Amino acid sequence: MSTTVKIPATHLETGSRQVGRPLERIDAKGKAVGSTRYAGDYVMPDMLHAKVLRSTVASANLRRLDVTKARALPGVVCVLTGADVPKHMVSTDIPGQTGSWGQNTGQPILVHDRVRYFGEPLALIASESRDIAERAMTLIEPEYEPLPGVFDPIEALKPEAPLVQGVGNVVASQMVRKGDVKHGFETADVIVERVYRTQFIEHAFLEPEVGLSWIDENDVINIHVSTQVIEHFRVVADAVGLPYNRVRIRGALVGGGFGGKEDVTVEIYLALLALATRRPVRLEYTREDSFVGHGKRHPFVMTYRTGVKNDGTITALEAKFIADAGAYVFLSPSVMVYAATAAPGPYKIDNLIADAKAVATNNMYTSAFRGFGAAQACVAYEQQMDEVAKAIGMDPVKFRRKNYMRAGDRTATGVVVPSAIWTEQCVDQAWTALGEPVEVSGPIKIGRGVAACLQGYGRLTSLHDTSEGWVGVERDGTVTVRSGVTDIGAGQVSALAQIAAEVLGVTLQDVAVYNSDSAVTPLAGTTTATRALYMTGNAIRQAAEAVRRRLAQRAAKAFNVPPDDIDMAFSKVFVADDPAQSMAFRDLVRICAAEGIHCSELAMFCAPFTEKLNPETGQGQVHPDFSYGAHAIELTVDTETGEITVIKSVGAHDVGRAINPAAVEGQIEGGAVQGQGYALSEEMIYKEGRLMTPSLSEYLIPTAMDVPQVKCIILESGSGLGPFGAKGIGEAALTPVAAAIANAVADAIGVRIAELPITPEKVVNALREKE
Amino acid sequence: MYQTTNTRIIVPEFDVRQPTSLEAVLRELEHNAKGTRLLAGGTDLLVQIKLERTQPARLIDITRVPELMGMAVKDGMLIVGAATSIRTLANGVGVRERYTALAESCDAFSTVPVMIMGTIGGNLCNASPAADTAPALFAFDGAVELASCEGSRRTVPLDEFFVGPGRTVMREDEVMVAVRLPKTAAGTGSAFVKIGRVAADISKVSAAVKLVRKDDRVSECRIAVGAVAATPMRAYTAEQYLAGRRIDAKTLADAARAVEEDVKPITDVRSTKEYRTHVAGVAVKDALGAAWQRARGGERQ
Ligand SMILES: Cc1cc2nc3c(=O)[nH]c(=O)nc-3n(C[C@H](O)[C@H](O)[C@H](O)COP(=O)(O)OP(=O)(O)OC[C@H]3O[C@@H](n4cnc5c(N)ncnc54)[C@H](O)[C@@H]3O)c2cc1C
Repeated sequence: MSTTVKIPATHLETGSRQVGRPLERIDAKGKAVGSTRYAGDYVMPDMLHAKVLRSTVASANLRRLDVTKARALPGVVCVLTGADVPKHMVSTDIPGQTGSWGQNTGQPILVHDRVRYFGEPLALIASESRDIAERAMTLIEPEYEPLPGVFDPIEALKPEAPLVQGVGNVVASQMVRKGDVKHGFETADVIVERVYRTQFIEHAFLEPEVGLSWIDENDVINIHVSTQVIEHFRVVADAVGLPYNRVRIRGALVGGGFGGKEDVTVEIYLALLALATRRPVRLEYTREDSFVGHGKRHPFVMTYRTGVKNDGTITALEAKFIADAGAYVFLSPSVMVYAATAAPGPYKIDNLIADAKAVATNNMYTSAFRGFGAAQACVAYEQQMDEVAKAIGMDPVKFRRKNYMRAGDRTATGVVVPSAIWTEQCVDQAWTALGEPVEVSGPIKIGRGVAACLQGYGRLTSLHDTSEGWVGVERDGTVTVRSGVTDIGAGQVSALAQIAAEVLGVTLQDVAVYNSDSAVTPLAGTTTATRALYMTGNAIRQAAEAVRRRLAQRAAKAFNVPPDDIDMAFSKVFVADDPAQSMAFRDLVRICAAEGIHCSELAMFCAPFTEKLNPETGQGQVHPDFSYGAHAIELTVDTETGEITVIKSVGAHDVGRAINPAAVEGQIEGGAVQGQGYALSEEMIYKEGRLMTPSLSEYLIPTAMDVPQVKCIILESGSGLGPFGAKGIGEAALTPVAAAIANAVADAIGVRIAELPITPEKVVNALREKE
Repeated sequence: MYQTTNTRIIVPEFDVRQPTSLEAVLRELEHNAKGTRLLAGGTDLLVQIKLERTQPARLIDITRVPELMGMAVKDGMLIVGAATSIRTLANGVGVRERYTALAESCDAFSTVPVMIMGTIGGNLCNASPAADTAPALFAFDGAVELASCEGSRRTVPLDEFFVGPGRTVMREDEVMVAVRLPKTAAGTGSAFVKIGRVAADISKVSAAVKLVRKDDRVSECRIAVGAVAATPMRAYTAEQYLAGRRIDAKTLADAARAVEEDVKPITDVRSTKEYRTHVAGVAVKDALGAAWQRARGGERQ
């Protein structure tokens, strides 16, 4: 579906044999032929089926929850309510392999007395069949005493607003202060101001949440689950009151996550039911359960005010973000950090104020979603860039070029980025790739738009993130990799195999990766935050290199040359300048084994560790590094019906180094499609907290029929902090897409629709108002 | 409520019959029509069962009944068996040439699997205001043939078939046997326009037009719109206005305005009343334009 242009930097190592090639991923065949087992494919003898009963009101006291009829239904084995489960709160922030502590933000496992959002879990049922569990749900009678709720973050900020929880409705905030904004605006020739809005959206991963739990012969709770974070074993242990080493989480290949499986999903329910029944329990969400069962992307209200000189120099920016956090905190604090620090985007803005606030409401809670606050900021800053360019009569690409942050410049938080900043190359490549415009006539208007972005890769440096990985070589010359990493569909596991193959001079087929088991694979941390390749890839590279060093030393002795002269490729070990002097890799491993040379290594990679940002100024390091990229769009708008058709979609990203270009393409294509849905059709609509779009027939993701062929342009600066100079692409691929589409619509119809999604209804209204 | 969901797996606790003749279908109905539903492609019925809008105890699968399948031309009239799939209908011999709007309405079905499974009878009996084939069948002056267990048969013009959302004049003991479409006259042109939210979607608004062009004027014209009222509806005001006129920018705009005045859409999660009203006019205008072009010279038939 995509055409790809690869633009490598000239200085990259050219000698690599495995890395950099579009190899067939090791998970590809199983997925293509349907033989891959996902978490939902595991069953056990004597297994029970679980269901979660959820509230159908958004704000109430739970007066009574009568489960006697449900318990009496034949086939029902267990019904648990808030009264039956420990009063522990489920921690809702900072999962994974981090050194920092959570912030005491929590949600009750099951409602005790107060319901705060529509869909909040009330009771768990385990029964002999799913059908019985469903019938039991209808026999439970919750009695509510309705309480006034608040459903809009701006309303929730007012002093008279009902309190959702805690001491105030502002649950997280982040500010950034740089330079002298007052002076900046005074020296501006033109000031442009606009409010941009984004909506609740849903991850809509293919595979709804699912898991299977059982208690094993060592009294350990095992949970086989679809998750981005196997380190949740700690959260589960805390919730059910067990030591951490008594909960084991096994992942599986994941059918998509996008941040929606970053928080705990079914794990705690499964653990509680397994403990209560001492039988295996399976819990699988339907699509509709999934829609009400996990957090959404934060909707933002973003007020941007930019001062600019007539020559195109930006003199000041003031950005205010108000985000709807929903009823519980979850990852809102980190999302606010991402948003506020990304407020100026990839532009050098010396006078800056950014304020981000997450406000509690009785809507569905919001949490991680690909792009994580920085994606919402991009929707605002890139629309604003177009509007400012228009206000001073400058070409939008030229205006951007004048303001790009370049190597050596300081970011919004005052740090110098350690890698190359190729925003200009990305924008120019994407924009040029649009080529000649298509021809249109009559009511059809054509529009083009571009958006650039920056996106941190790796988690917040204040989290003290680490990743461990193990590499060993076997006596038949094969390589084993062990890493806790979960593969959420992007090829995380295959990339590790490719890295190990590169370092140890074998081929992809020679490498087996064991992953995603919290008890037996080294903990690698979350597959979130565009960190898996950066963190886990580095750990595996380190481990493989340590093994290689020892093997090379032994080979050097055999060939009587210095170790640096030894090369390994295609399962042979040889003297680099004299390949005739060689032996099979397998034979070298056997020699080492016989001599007690250690043929494996456990390595730990640590991201940079910093303090939190200065709370007053927001200055300090936020991310280990940034990816830069751009997306360009050509589309048509039917000015009579308001219908928008995306004609061309081009993503250009500096990924540092494409370990597997085919996998990078997959990310850019997926980002283009998901971003198009964000821009044009997707919206989770809540009315007084109640979900009005409960299934995929109301919530509209684009299908293959709605998207054009995506063009991927992969740039390789080789400057990233990941293995072999890689940066990250997972989130960056999505971030600029919606803004590029919004800009293209504005270009086509001459009015800006500053509220996503840009539906035909809004287009028609905007055109009417313009007349 | 979210617990009754259209993607959950339901336990099949109903009796399923698979008769192989119309007579056998009617006999089944005769014995107990109550609690029994006919099952064609199931693309509407199964969704409704999952959403618990209906809880039939018995299903009669009618897709093995030869009398209900396939197409034939009799006395110039096209007769389509009620259990004919949308895709078979779209590809039927002569359908695209003579009943272009109908073929286009089948093409507009959201996805290929639904086109293969869904049937014309199911589309009409389900009586959704957004049923895509309905406006086209209105435009071609279609009628449906119903059979009941007492052996009676009746033919109901489609104009009179729909009563409200999900409701028709059909009785519980009746089966739709076929859809009948009169022969199209020389100089006929037709078109169907659908406006959805994404490509794979049911209609937000749909429109079908059939007109006969004679001496460069509209000698006859039928216009129908979907998803803008409780049932698919004719746009009579626009039809009357256009009779005897030429199609040009002005008459198109006037016709669109007339349609806007006739329709009575609602605001729901898929669209707004205002948008549907406006776009019904646009859809009719576009369909009229296309039908007028196609009718040029009367070379069809
Ligand atoms: C994903 C999806 C997409 C869809 N997209 C579209 C679309 O784009 N456009 C559109 O118009 N519709 C669409 N539909 C709705 C549906 O597919 C159509 O209405 C289809 O034509 C129904 O036909 P069926 O044979 O599947 O009906 P069934 O579900 O089998 O039956 C529907 C109803 O009609 C009754 N019935 C069926 N045949 C007869 C008969 N011969 N006599 C008496 N009663 C009968 C049944 O008892 C039932 O009440 C979609 C549905 C789904 C699930």
